[in-house]
Amino acid sequence: MTGRRSSQLRVAEELARRGRLSAAVAACYEALAIDDRDPFVHALLGHLMLEGDFYDEAIEASTRSIELDPGCSPAYLALGLAYDRRGGMWDQSVLVWHELAEVVPDLVTAHVQLGEAFAAAGFEQEAVDSWRRALELDPKHSRAQYNLAIAALKREGMSTALPTIRKAGELDPSQDELFFALLGLPAARIEFDAAQVKPERGARLAAAGMLLRREDFFAASDLVGLLLGENPADADALALAAYAYLKQEAANEAMACALRALTYSADLPMALYTLGVVYSRFPGLARHAARVFIALAKAAPQHSLTHVLLAESLLGLQRYGQAKQAYRAAVRLDPACVRARFGLAAVRLTEGAYAEAQWEIRRAAYYDTRRQGTFWSLYDAYAGEADA
Amino acid sequence: MRVNVEAAERSNRVASDDVALLYEAFVSQDPAAAIQVVERVRSSGVPQQLLFDVLYVPAMSLLGSAWAEGAIDEVVFTQASVVAEQIGSFVMPPVARADTGVSVVIGTMHRDRHSVMKDIVASALKEAGYRVNDLGVDVRAPDFLERLDETGSRIVIACAEMLATARAVAGVRDLLAAENRDDVVLLVCGGPFAADPGLARAIGANGVVASAESALKLLARVREELLGEGAA
Repeated sequence: MTGRRSSQLRVAEELARRGRLSAAVAACYEALAIDDRDPFVHALLGHLMLEGDFYDEAIEASTRSIELDPGCSPAYLALGLAYDRRGGMWDQSVLVWHELAEVVPDLVTAHVQLGEAFAAAGFEQEAVDSWRRALELDPKHSRAQYNLAIAALKREGMSTALPTIRKAGELDPSQDELFFALLGLPAARIEFDAAQVKPERGARLAAAGMLLRREDFFAASDLVGLLLGENPADADALALAAYAYLKQEAANEAMACALRALTYSADLPMALYTLGVVYSRFPGLARHAARVFIALAKAAPQHSLTHVLLAESLLGLQRYGQAKQAYRAAVRLDPACVRARFGLAAVRLTEGAYAEAQWEIRRAAYYDTRRQGTFWSLYDAYAGEADA
Repeated sequence: MRVNVEAAERSNRVASDDVALLYEAFVSQDPAAAIQVVERVRSSGVPQQLLFDVLYVPAMSLLGSAWAEGAIDEVVFTQASVVAEQIGSFVMPPVARADTGVSVVIGTMHRDRHSVMKDIVASALKEAGYRVNDLGVDVRAPDFLERLDETGSRIVIACAEMLATARAVAGVRDLLAAENRDDVVLLVCGGPFAADPGLARAIGANGVVASAESALKLLARVREELLGEGAA
């Protein structure tokens, strides 16, 4: 490993982090003109080429980086992703993800990607083992769960796969974020003092929502209690109470509050969401869950996850064609929706469309790994080791 | 149809008294009383699949209302919810679909080890109430016939994902004809049949299973048109 990074490389890094890809590439070539044996530069160049969809160039640069330093973890990531996205190079891909899992043993993404490479190459049991290893490292890793659901679908059909898809969905933080989006909370988290909330309905609702997002259930319950004390027929407050109970695994209390909220406001999205999630936990209520999620998708069609929830309830009713339409609506709204991509892959498998299913999984993997910013976390850790 | 209408009418007549009694049983933490209410409503003619909607849901809504109005405190609300959970199984719609009584023999052709589509279709059919006899992969034509004889089934789904094994399904049809089993419905499933619709006709298949959902539709049609209800 080289000790110090050149100033040209630091310029390239800064440009890359800001998303100025072509300028970053130019800076990388300047850095290479000074020292063409710097693994950092080649790794960064590999990442930039990958971002620009130049897979062969990404493979070349990343391979060179690994040749210069077999411990260069970000280069393995870029190389593995380049192989995966180029397609048809599953044997190389398996080797690279295996190497990365050895270089950074606690990197969950490496095990998940290794599993996906194994699955694409037809090594189903090895794939399952890799995803299980990923879940040992991070039991809440939703993508590993989605992959296991797809593996279960291939072996045992939808009735076994669907509970795993739902379990993965509940691990996925985007499902909770849907509730807060339905409430109208901004995506950014705002720090505030619960004791200083204005004695107004709107302020209390928003504050209760923010407290629920922090999983501060006691403080949220106090505010909801104040709202219901003023108006026991406040549908929004009842919906918040329902969500709070749901998050505390009190499904019947959640159902009671959500049902009451819906008697006051029949298409209140927050109450529909909570009731639908409760219903979907009971296999006998699949039809009920579908009805509720149809209403939710109509009430809040702009959120991709409402369509995903509808699609999953339709899978439970064996209405795979309708589920596909709902998943497609979700992907149209948010092409990076990993849960919708995996769901679509599941539906495509029920149609015998293996290549299309594999394509959806690859897209999901691409968006998920990118969203996590894994390259930069590996790069920074590698740079930290070099600086040390 | 008339039966359904009558059941719905009876369900609409579930008295608000019954709902209130169920709510009271929840709040007084009396599961036995709750079950009595459920059984009384069921014996009045309300079908199992409607009990949840006409009785349980309104009672739970009353419970939510009582908590919101402060008529019951948090502890009573929680205890009442526990009772509601305990009697949940008495009001839940049935999970499993009714047994159709129709047996289906399914397997992947000899020299073909592709199992994914076969497994997905078999699972979908089982979930829909069919009696599925899964022969696995690499199944020879006589094995299909043998299982048909054993189970009394009249439906075979032969899966093949390669052109050579798809063509070999003709051997199953020939064997059925040789054994005078023209009553058997032969369905085929797999990529070659999806790619070439003429292939299924050429080998004497009665239909193509293009997906899990199409298997359900096709089997429903076979049940109604060819076999008659319960004839398999």
